[in-house]
Amino acid sequence: MGREKAEALPDTSSSPAQTWGRFSRYRSALLLFFIFCAVTVVGLFAIRDLRRTDMQEQNMYTGSVQSLHRIAALEYQTQETRRSTLYALSTADSNLHVKYADQSREADHLVSEGITAYLTNARTPNEADVGRRLEHDWSTYLSVRDEVLAEILEGSTKEAVDLDLTKGVESFDQVRKDLAQIERVYDQQASQQLSTVDATSRRTIIRVAGVLAITLIATIASVWTIQRIRMTGAIQLAKLQMEFVASVSHELRTPLAVISSAADNIADGLVTGANDIKKYGAAIQIQSRQMTELVDQILLFSATNDRTNQAAFRRLDVPKILDSVIEQTSELVRASGFRIELEIEPALPPVRGDASALARCLQNMVVNAVKYSGKSRWIGVRAFLSHSQLGGRREVQVAVRDRGIGIARTELDHVFEPFYRSPAVVAEQIHGTGLGLSVSQNIAEAMGGHLTVASELGAGSVFTLHLPVAEEPSSQVTGGIQVDGTTAK
Amino acid sequence: MLRRAHVLVILVWAALLGGALRSRAFGLAQLSAPDQSAAERNLAVVVNLSNPVNDLTMADLRRVFLGERGHWQNGRRITLVMLEPGWPERDAVLSGIYRMNETEFNKHFLHGLFTGEVFVSPKTLSTPEGVRKFIFNVPGAIGYLRASDVDKTVKVIRIDERLPGDKGYKLHVPLRENR
Repeated sequence: MGREKAEALPDTSSSPAQTWGRFSRYRSALLLFFIFCAVTVVGLFAIRDLRRTDMQEQNMYTGSVQSLHRIAALEYQTQETRRSTLYALSTADSNLHVKYADQSREADHLVSEGITAYLTNARTPNEADVGRRLEHDWSTYLSVRDEVLAEILEGSTKEAVDLDLTKGVESFDQVRKDLAQIERVYDQQASQQLSTVDATSRRTIIRVAGVLAITLIATIASVWTIQRIRMTGAIQLAKLQMEFVASVSHELRTPLAVISSAADNIADGLVTGANDIKKYGAAIQIQSRQMTELVDQILLFSATNDRTNQAAFRRLDVPKILDSVIEQTSELVRASGFRIELEIEPALPPVRGDASALARCLQNMVVNAVKYSGKSRWIGVRAFLSHSQLGGRREVQVAVRDRGIGIARTELDHVFEPFYRSPAVVAEQIHGTGLGLSVSQNIAEAMGGHLTVASELGAGSVFTLHLPVAEEPSSQVTGGIQVDGTTAK
Repeated sequence: MLRRAHVLVILVWAALLGGALRSRAFGLAQLSAPDQSAAERNLAVVVNLSNPVNDLTMADLRRVFLGERGHWQNGRRITLVMLEPGWPERDAVLSGIYRMNETEFNKHFLHGLFTGEVFVSPKTLSTPEGVRKFIFNVPGAIGYLRASDVDKTVKVIRIDERLPGDKGYKLHVPLRENR
């Protein structure tokens, strides 16, 4: 078959479904990552709340202690002011009078300073009002106190007592009431702060409980999801293996039945003529080849599935290998009545890989196209230079297109899975093992490339092999496979 | 030689200027030795800051100290403050105002209070500081202190239009002894 002009082929880059398929491999890890992020964020909120509550408690404690201390000091000094005045009443010694008067004045200075400090630190109008009232009442008491002290020092004890009873007691009572009012104001503020702290604390508890609940739910969901994924995978693998065994058995039984029947006929002496013997021999030969091919395919899958194999890759000329593949499949193509349109872009750069593996990969793609082309009897093969969508590296693409039955969108994710066979294909009794595309995908990936598919049900499919261009001169690199199933050294 | 003379003149001027600045900087706070001595010796008659009286004649002062006057012009009762016996200030008052000795002083008040001729019984305090504080606390109080013991809490009144330190001021006290 010569090279013929092929019609333009559609873009065969990775479909969204394939991209999702790649991500789905890591969905457990992604799920755990998102859960970790969510728990971390909520946890950070909870920690922030805890710290805020702690600071509020500290502020409240400090504020309450300071306020109590301030009020206690004020109360003590007011009492001291009055007490010293009353002490002066209890003696007739002028020197002691002076001493007590002095003590009373020292105490009243401290009270005045305390009131000024209170007014300076007053944060609410209520606090300031009470403070100003205290300042006024204290000043009133001090003027009475000064009069009383003067009377005492003059020696007019009776007048001093009268003055203190009529004016001093009353004005001092007013001062005490003001101090009590300040205490109440502090109490109210402490209560408000306490309720704020309480609310914050409650919110923190709810958040912590939320974090725990989320963590618990997320853990259960993760475990469940991971188990489900594993179980689904195991079930699917078991199912595929069962189908594979059934398929292989079926594929083996048909040629075996033919061989057995031919052998029985020859053994029973039913075949006598030379022509008949030749005919039976040819049948046995064809069936044996089919069986050999099937066994080879299984061995090849086993070999390509093991990526740890080592192989020496060479620079490969894709057009040359493609010609070889077309040549190898020409008998099948011709026998099936197919026409291949081949288009190879001139001056294609070499790729790096294993020649026989690449040939096997391309052969699988062509044979697949023959199998599923339906009645169109046409295959388009095109090799060209392009740039990868992931990273923009240069790559050689080989697209094999058919106008066959096509693949449903829901099945595109599964066509590269080993042993997978479409229900439609099974229904149409198209024989196969479900390993061809999987083998090709493994080979492509071993060479640093990949395989993509674009398809429309009833319109046909395009399978494209993407292989990176060998940029450097030929060198021996490791990592690869050989199609004969042996490990390359 | 000429240059040395110039340097000497400059140094003398600098010393004089420095001294002048120092005396201005310290002002009244740092009295010279004679001033300090005068302040120690002058006896100031002091009253409460609220007392409207600013000066008295020696005769009026004597009447007040003898207890012959019971009230100030503003109606406030006069309270006489004395230091305990033994204080030079008290001796100076007894000799300068009362013109009596201790015995005569005691007799005067004992007799005066008994007969009703004296309206004021003097309060006796043990220290000048006590006197000062007493006068600060009592609006009608009058007492005496060395000029050096006076501060802003009390008011010094003129006697015969003279303040302590003025020429012709009559109340003096011997220099302070260690008590």
